[in-house]
Amino acid sequence: MLQRWTAGRFLRLPRFARFDLTPEALNKRIPQRRLLSTTKSPNAELAPLRKQLKDAARADRTARHAGVKATCTSKAETLSQWELTVGIEIHAQLNTSVKLFSYASAEYNEHPNASSWPFDLAVPGSQPLFQPAVLVPALRAALALKCQIQSRSKFDRKHYFYHDQPAGYQITQFYEPFAKDGRLVLTPQDGLGHKDDDTIEVGIKQIQLEQDTARTQEQDEHTSLIDFNRSGHALIEIISLPHLHSPEAAAAYVRKVQSILHAVDATTTGMELGGLRADVNVSVRRTDDRSARHSYSGVTGLGQRTEIKNLSSFKAVEDAVRAERDRQISVLEAGGVVEGETRGWSLSSPGITRRLRGKEGEVDYRYMPDPDISPLYIDESLVTHFQRTLPPVPEQLLDMLCTTYGLTIDDSRALLSLDDGTRLLYYQDVVSRLYTDTAQPRPSVQAANWVLHELGALLTTASTVWSPDLVDAQQMADLIVLQRENKITGPSAKRLLRILFDGDKSSVAEIVRREDLLFISMTNEEYDELAARVIGEHQAEADAVRQGGKRSSGKLKFLLGQMMRHGGRNRVQAQKAEEVLQSKLKPNDV
Amino acid sequence: MNSRTSAPIRRVIRGTKYRANPSPWTRVELNPHIAALLSQPSWSVRSLLPSEEAASTSEISRKQLHHLLKLSALPVPTTQEAEDRMLKTLQSQIHFVKEVQKVDTTGLQPLVAIRDETHDAIREQMFTLEKLQPWLDIEKTVGTNGTIRRQKSKEMIKGSGWDPFDMGKGKETRKMGKYFFVKKNKDVEQAK
Repeated sequence: MLQRWTAGRFLRLPRFARFDLTPEALNKRIPQRRLLSTTKSPNAELAPLRKQLKDAARADRTARHAGVKATCTSKAETLSQWELTVGIEIHAQLNTSVKLFSYASAEYNEHPNASSWPFDLAVPGSQPLFQPAVLVPALRAALALKCQIQSRSKFDRKHYFYHDQPAGYQITQFYEPFAKDGRLVLTPQDGLGHKDDDTIEVGIKQIQLEQDTARTQEQDEHTSLIDFNRSGHALIEIISLPHLHSPEAAAAYVRKVQSILHAVDATTTGMELGGLRADVNVSVRRTDDRSARHSYSGVTGLGQRTEIKNLSSFKAVEDAVRAERDRQISVLEAGGVVEGETRGWSLSSPGITRRLRGKEGEVDYRYMPDPDISPLYIDESLVTHFQRTLPPVPEQLLDMLCTTYGLTIDDSRALLSLDDGTRLLYYQDVVSRLYTDTAQPRPSVQAANWVLHELGALLTTASTVWSPDLVDAQQMADLIVLQRENKITGPSAKRLLRILFDGDKSSVAEIVRREDLLFISMTNEEYDELAARVIGEHQAEADAVRQGGKRSSGKLKFLLGQMMRHGGRNRVQAQKAEEVLQSKLKPNDV
Repeated sequence: MNSRTSAPIRRVIRGTKYRANPSPWTRVELNPHIAALLSQPSWSVRSLLPSEEAASTSEISRKQLHHLLKLSALPVPTTQEAEDRMLKTLQSQIHFVKEVQKVDTTGLQPLVAIRDETHDAIREQMFTLEKLQPWLDIEKTVGTNGTIRRQKSKEMIKGSGWDPFDMGKGKETRKMGKYFFVKKNKDVEQAK
């Protein structure tokens, strides 16, 4: 009796229930109770509950998938009827030691309100003093984005009242910015969506210098704390033309701008740390509708745009654009009109945007040329110098790695992104030390494997932060040369790397001598003898290999492993051993 | 014609003796056409102000006035009388501006400030490679690809000697810990 129940394998009945537990008996006693068992019930009406639940879940799943597929296809159809247009304004903090109009320190200061001068707090009577140091990163940024530098540019005031704006206006360059008409090319490798197969050239309308505001912290709902360390810090605002047409492209654009700015040392902190912020302008129009009236800076035929402010991560840009696109499409499809308003997006509800300010709340900035600040004149010689000495952008480095060093795109990308580009420099150092005295082509691909993957594996398991001093470049180069010339086997090389990684600073030659890692090649007779011995010890496996079939390759590997084990640690070469085994066991195939 | 022979104009200065010497004060006869031209003023600064009737009707509505006050962060007037006075002043100011706008300025660039804009002055202000060399000298080239990184520790920074709270009496009331603070009413708080 109990047997039958335990055959059901999941249900344990309490002690009092051990009576006659046949289905018929139970049914007679309590007709409503269901029989919980996986054993086949003789009575067809009493279908096991578990099976019922399973069937219900399966039906639900198929329905949901069908529903999702339905919504997916209908959404794809909807999207194909609409064209999305996005323009992005990026604010990036410049990498300088002083602020824009005062020589207060712009470095990070953990003490609040400790690095400001009177002009940063708009103390009455204080005057702006333009700091030439900001021109270095600003011009590099503009040239990296292929802009035309204006020999004369002017500063304007943008008026609005807020507690983080001490003067009541922000100094910016609205009418005459210092750089105009740039461009940025996005390729599919930059992470465009699957739809965007071609390259996109995004025009940059202008780049302007402006001041940053102070930092606000909400202490409670009635009090804000203000820290003026950041007030007056130099920013550049990069305004793009509305040439982006998908959320993925928008995120890719921001990502690429950040990587370019970082490569030319124009900014140091990224979006995650607040050094870069993006505001996006989104509009939609029907693909076949030429009557859309709005235009922006020469791009005509656009729908009404809305602005989403203060996005602070790449994913946020993508999600916000997508949410706003969907909202605008649904409004227009329902017959409504999109209003030109300012909206906000937050991580807590990524699928929607909230209205911050409507047209009636639109701020009138009353742009006005600043009379206290003289125009900014930039000489041709300075621009030529920066153009000539411009640091390479990631694209150029990728190109160099793929052509000169022969690496794959993925390996190149990894080298560029790891450890702030220092892993790349280490790699180049290692390669430069390989075969310096001969005209031989350098084994750069092998070197990349060692620097990226082997060293990377050791770092991960030891949870260490990489530094170029862990394994000296010369040691690494010597190791690679030895391995390439087959003076040590692969496994020995890995062991050697481990020894170096653990802190041994002696030369590689010394370590090889000490640990006896040199590979002494076995003769063919020695291989034959070893193979024969292993086959003799494991007849069953040998027979399986001889017969062939499904498991034969596994058995072969087993025999190979036995050879490696018994052949002396650094003497057996795997490939050769496999060949010898093959020839011994299947002489006809050879 | 009568310059030499006419009598000098007497000037009586109370309490002093007037010496009857030949004086430079001679009557100058003007060409009658010029005299006629100069006798009547052709323009008065009074034309820049609105006449009494025009001043009473205002072009600015109450709503516009409130909007302007909000933009300037000024308080809305409390009494109707104060508001009327404000509107009247504003109206006269607008009239003034309209009169000034009657001048034809096509093709002219607005004057922002009076500066020395001679060629020499501009060359002096221009930022050249030599002027920026001190900052370029403290940068470091990293690696062999031409990457440049600014060296943070090397620059002379003057900037952290001023205490922003130390601006007169009541220093402690402006602080909350090391921060400035702002109390706000949640409804009035405007999203930036």
